[in-house]
Amino acid sequence: DDLRVDGRGCDDYRHMEIETDVVSNTSGSARVKLGHTDILVGVKAEMSRPKLEKPNEGCLEFFVDCSANATPEFEGRGGEDLGTEIANTLYRVFDNGRNIDLKSLCICPMEHCWTLYVDVLLLQCDGNLFDAISVAIKAALFNTRIPKVQMIEDEEGTKEIELSDDPYDCMRLDVENVPCIVTLCKIGHRHVVDATLQEKACSMASLLVAVTKKGTVTCVRKVGGGSLDPESVFEMIETGKRVGKALHTPLQEILQKEESLGKKRHKVGFLG
Amino acid sequence: MPVDNKRVCGPEESQSPWLFLQQTRGQPTWVPQTRESERRADSRRRRGQVDARPMFARCGLVSQAKGSAYIEAGNTKLICSVYGPRETERKDELDMRAGRLVCAFRLAPFSCAKRCPWIQGSQEKDLTLSLQESLQPGVCLHRYPRSQIEVNVLVLENDGSALAHAITCASLALADAGIEMYDLVIGCSLRQDGAAYLLDPTCCEETGDESTENQGSLTVALLPALNQISGLLSTGEMKEATMVGAIRVCVEGCQRLYPAAQQCLLKSVRRKVHARSTDVDVGR
Repeated sequence: DDLRVDGRGCDDYRHMEIETDVVSNTSGSARVKLGHTDILVGVKAEMSRPKLEKPNEGCLEFFVDCSANATPEFEGRGGEDLGTEIANTLYRVFDNGRNIDLKSLCICPMEHCWTLYVDVLLLQCDGNLFDAISVAIKAALFNTRIPKVQMIEDEEGTKEIELSDDPYDCMRLDVENVPCIVTLCKIGHRHVVDATLQEKACSMASLLVAVTKKGTVTCVRKVGGGSLDPESVFEMIETGKRVGKALHTPLQEILQKEESLGKKRHKVGFLG
Repeated sequence: MPVDNKRVCGPEESQSPWLFLQQTRGQPTWVPQTRESERRADSRRRRGQVDARPMFARCGLVSQAKGSAYIEAGNTKLICSVYGPRETERKDELDMRAGRLVCAFRLAPFSCAKRCPWIQGSQEKDLTLSLQESLQPGVCLHRYPRSQIEVNVLVLENDGSALAHAITCASLALADAGIEMYDLVIGCSLRQDGAAYLLDPTCCEETGDESTENQGSLTVALLPALNQISGLLSTGEMKEATMVGAIRVCVEGCQRLYPAAQQCLLKSVRRKVHARSTDVDVGR
């Protein structure tokens, strides 16, 4: 029938609001509201030593904090399990070196590189965390401004780091290939995109599909305690790819539009 | 940062000497030269791309555990023991109706090419969660209300597809423990590199050249008799059609491993019955 409790179709998302540059102390930040789910992502770029296996690349570190604001279940260490699960999935989604150009984050091979610490904060939980988090990460990475540094070698051979004098002289990241996660919940014989908490309670198993703009799939993961028929898995992957691909273009347009408003942009922040 | 106070640890920053060797020769992989030539002789010529490694499985090794299993596939060795059903500590509403499956996936520090510290890292937690999600559909948890079943998998040597074999090993151990199950859960993994794919990859085959398009790894857990996928985990960027094809190949691989697992269980049951009958004879 293609009709859900709140009037949406099986492939429709709820109303999504995105705002970037909400926190001034970060290199980049974004806030996403998907229905009642509220996610805040802050990206901080810091210089560090590159990993020994990959001396020419920078790295991304994810940390997810399920704050006690979201639900009383998250009080103390309750939200830690969920936080590590989300962080591990994010590491897996960004694991291949093709989404973000990590080589551009290298300053001096084997010695210095940029590490982007992506910190995700769950402010409100109303189902479909993965989708909202991945959109927020893409927006925050788009908003990230990394200062340009140069390595200058002295006559004696000592290397010095020079930061440019202009605070607005920054390097931006290319987020064309950053994937978005689509969660598909299997309810009965059909599957739905963007399930609310009530719909999630009815489903036994869900499939997480991370899709890039080109339509390639970066990560597929089955969550939940039920099992899935292989045919329905194939259908769900296909729907995930279609929905994910369709998500990227409007997202990119909105981010570009927000950026182009520049100083005139009226910041809503947390007041709206 | 959790710090291990019980053991004397080495210096905080220690690296394998192979890293420095590779950089001078310009090779990106971890594995030293000698093992690579062995790999080419062993897997590429004798194994086709859809052949899983021959698997040796045996149940009932750990005498203290309710059920246990050992699997050896190529150089990958894992052992699993099952304890339970035991009473749960937490009396949540959920535990009243059905039991809980508590899984632990451990990699021994010497199992991989790079030493894993004793404190459980994020990779192990991730694999533990995948293991639990894959096993849960196969176990009749509603038959064990208010109890928990503990499954501990220890990887002694990791030569590729550790998670897939861990799933198979854990379900054999659960069956050996007499836990009621809908079906055995068989795991199978695949490595896709461009247009070519390899079923049940070894460690060297799992780490490929980063620059090729359409590459990734996939692990599928299947309940063969019911033909239901209970676990699916993939990394790497692949096209959707390739992913679907890879899942199909993995499902077929699981179906082919199923008779071997069944044979292992039959042998262990026969052994137990024989042991009991000889005990009875001796008792008389």
